Amino acid sequence: MPSRIKLKDGVFSLVEDPFTTVSDDWAIPQGDVIISLTRFQAEGERLLSEGRKVGVRLEADEEVEALAYDLPQLSVVALAFPKFGDGRAYSYASLLRERFNYQGEVRAVGDVLREQAGFMVRCGFDAFEPADGSTPEVWERAAHRFRHVYQRSIDRRTPAFVERGE
Amino acid sequence: MYQYDTIDKDMLADRSAEFRGQVARRLAGELNEDQFKPLRLRNGLYLQLHAYMLRIAIPYGSLNPTQLRKLAWIGRTYDKGYGHFTTRTNLQFHWIKLSDAPDIMDHLAEVDMHAIQTSGNCIRNVTADPYAGATAEEIDDPRVWAEAIRQWSTVHPEFSWLPRKFKIAVTAAPKDRTAAKTHDIGLNLKRARDGSLGFEVMVGGGLGRLPHIAPTIREFLPAPRLFSYLEAILRTYNRHGRRDNIHKARVKILVAALGREEFARQVEAEWEKIGAGSDLPDTELARIRGAFAPKNFETLPAQSEAFEEARAAKPAFARFVRNNLKPHKVPGYGIVEISLKAIGETPGDATADQMEVVADLAERFGQNDIRVTHEQNLVLPHVKLDDVPAVWASLAEAGLATPNMNLVSDIIACPGLDYCALANARAISVAQHIAEKFADPDRAERVGELKVKISGCINACGHHHVGHIGILGVDKKGEEFYQLTLGGSGAEDAAVGQALGPALPYDKVADAVDTLVEVYLRERSDGERFLDTFRRTGVAPFKEAVYAVAD
Amino acid sequence: MKALTANRLTDGEVVFWKAGQWVESFGDADLFADDDPAGEAAEAHGKNQPTVVVEPYLIDLVESEGLWAPVSYRERIRALGPSNLNHGKQTAGGAVIAALLNAHGGARSKGRVDLIKRK
Repeated sequence: MPSRIKLKDGVFSLVEDPFTTVSDDWAIPQGDVIISLTRFQAEGERLLSEGRKVGVRLEADEEVEALAYDLPQLSVVALAFPKFGDGRAYSYASLLRERFNYQGEVRAVGDVLREQAGFMVRCGFDAFEPADGSTPEVWERAAHRFRHVYQRSIDRRTPAFVERGE
Repeated sequence: MYQYDTIDKDMLADRSAEFRGQVARRLAGELNEDQFKPLRLRNGLYLQLHAYMLRIAIPYGSLNPTQLRKLAWIGRTYDKGYGHFTTRTNLQFHWIKLSDAPDIMDHLAEVDMHAIQTSGNCIRNVTADPYAGATAEEIDDPRVWAEAIRQWSTVHPEFSWLPRKFKIAVTAAPKDRTAAKTHDIGLNLKRARDGSLGFEVMVGGGLGRLPHIAPTIREFLPAPRLFSYLEAILRTYNRHGRRDNIHKARVKILVAALGREEFARQVEAEWEKIGAGSDLPDTELARIRGAFAPKNFETLPAQSEAFEEARAAKPAFARFVRNNLKPHKVPGYGIVEISLKAIGETPGDATADQMEVVADLAERFGQNDIRVTHEQNLVLPHVKLDDVPAVWASLAEAGLATPNMNLVSDIIACPGLDYCALANARAISVAQHIAEKFADPDRAERVGELKVKISGCINACGHHHVGHIGILGVDKKGEEFYQLTLGGSGAEDAAVGQALGPALPYDKVADAVDTLVEVYLRERSDGERFLDTFRRTGVAPFKEAVYAVAD
Repeated sequence: MKALTANRLTDGEVVFWKAGQWVESFGDADLFADDDPAGEAAEAHGKNQPTVVVEPYLIDLVESEGLWAPVSYRERIRALGPSNLNHGKQTAGGAVIAALLNAHGGARSKGRVDLIKRK
């Protein structure tokens, strides 16, 4: 079974991935699955009623609001980076956490490189499928490159302006 | 001036270490060029025609002598002994080695400087009025806000991988010395009727292939709500800016496509959801504001005897005062403009020696305060009138006293094809030829205010679209040709220039500018600048004259 | 006639292909006849050296004073240095530099056009 880097309680580790990501033209196998938004809109209700865990993979040009109603039932939202420089998923992750109060797994998939680890963690991603062979140790080092942050964000790190008041 | 505290210094050190690691991985082949390029751009490093170019940030154009001396030292140690000040008030070195770049970052960090986000698809250097803190005209000190935005935008978690670059300018006076309306966001400080402070928010300006003057999307934003509003704008752009075509990816395209009203509606809707939690607390704003508290100015008479004597005795000094000295809000002080446009020199360039002269003058006579303007000149914003003669004498000795501020030889020019991998044509030598035609300072003064701006390619780093005379280098069958425009303005009366006619070859451009000036001198009414005459007559008399000669 | 050029990774210096090495002076560069497959072979080789050079590409040449020079103005500036200051390769002087300074270009260099399209 493939694995992904999971962030839990501040610790990065390699955890087996119970989900099978299924592309649109493949039949859905048994067990927990991650499917496209289109497929979820067609078959999601049925799959959930079968008692399995379901996740949705959102492409960069798909609106995160389309999932708003279904989020309580979704175990995973996988946000795709078609190219590492396509930063839309940072907004989607932030909105999932902040606006929709999503508690499930927000996973970074696609062109996912260690140089972006810090941004992803700050925006509320808690699972990562690196495309560059990064281990959890590498990922953690990259995520903690900066001792301070200037902005408030999803990760609730103390921003500089609060540190200064302390 | 803002003093970096431990947190700010740690940020620079951590960034420097990150960059060092990235360079090492690139040199070892662990990163390919496609992966590395955005990373090095985010640290200001371009691969240009002859070498790497390093663009060092000068936040809101503000420097102290220690910093300027360090830049001079870096120029001598790692480059060829000079630097180039840019239209975004940064400093570029054109002969940098990638292998030296990490050390250079460390040296910059020693004096609280960096190259963070001076390139790349992220929020760039925030610029502000170079006369901030010195001009009586300002509603509030724009540097306070520029510094706050600098921090907010540095390694921003959500907005660091935008569709394209993002430039913000803050202006606070009726005269706009930042070209705010050509920025992705222009912020114009204002007071409401009840005296409260706020911003006029303009979004969607930009030059380049498709120039736009930024429309106002909100007439008055209460100042304490700035950061939540910026978040709303950036999120709207990050989500909806085009990612399919690099030439259609700026926010100006999104604003034009949606229309001002719809764009504003989307921003306001997002802003309402964001609420006030994202705003910067008053304590932090007050802390930053405190750093820019007014200097210890002496109580002086408005008139200085020493100054008046020098002015009466030396016509050259009088000319310098006429053109390069601006009024200061405190009696007995003046704002000294330092021209980096000596006739025959490269516009915006300063040698390491010249940088040290300016640093020394700022230390002795200028309250340790130096500014860079978007027109590629320097400013000593706080000089006692008593001291201006001595300052002038030192500047003159160093070739920094050309009395041509805002005159025709005060040309803005990008590095162009002599240095830049993006360029189609040279800009520097065109500028030099034009300046030589107006080397006679009497003639230049007779012509009066005339902003000539030259870009070597459509990326418009020379701001040609907003030149009174704009000159754009194009490649026509492998030869350098130049498209002239008239009537642009980067000031509060912002406008995009109008094409004059077919592109001219390299050796006809300076003559054409000469002809344009002659037409202006012939046509002008009392008190009209070149720009005013053009706005009255339109392009016809200018076009006729230039193309009759060219035939 | 063509030559192969690139920028050296470590310092950005303009370099030219010469028999499997990268040299700094245009005068030392290997020349390839327009239809010679060795040119493209060299380019492929260069692209396989990502820790040595960045973006190698072939440039078109024209005769100048009995020597060869790049057709395009841009490539002549790369081979010489900037025209506003006496910096870069032109400080070496000599016949090769003189030929570059006096060359006349007309057509665009193909290599440059390809680069633009690729971006």
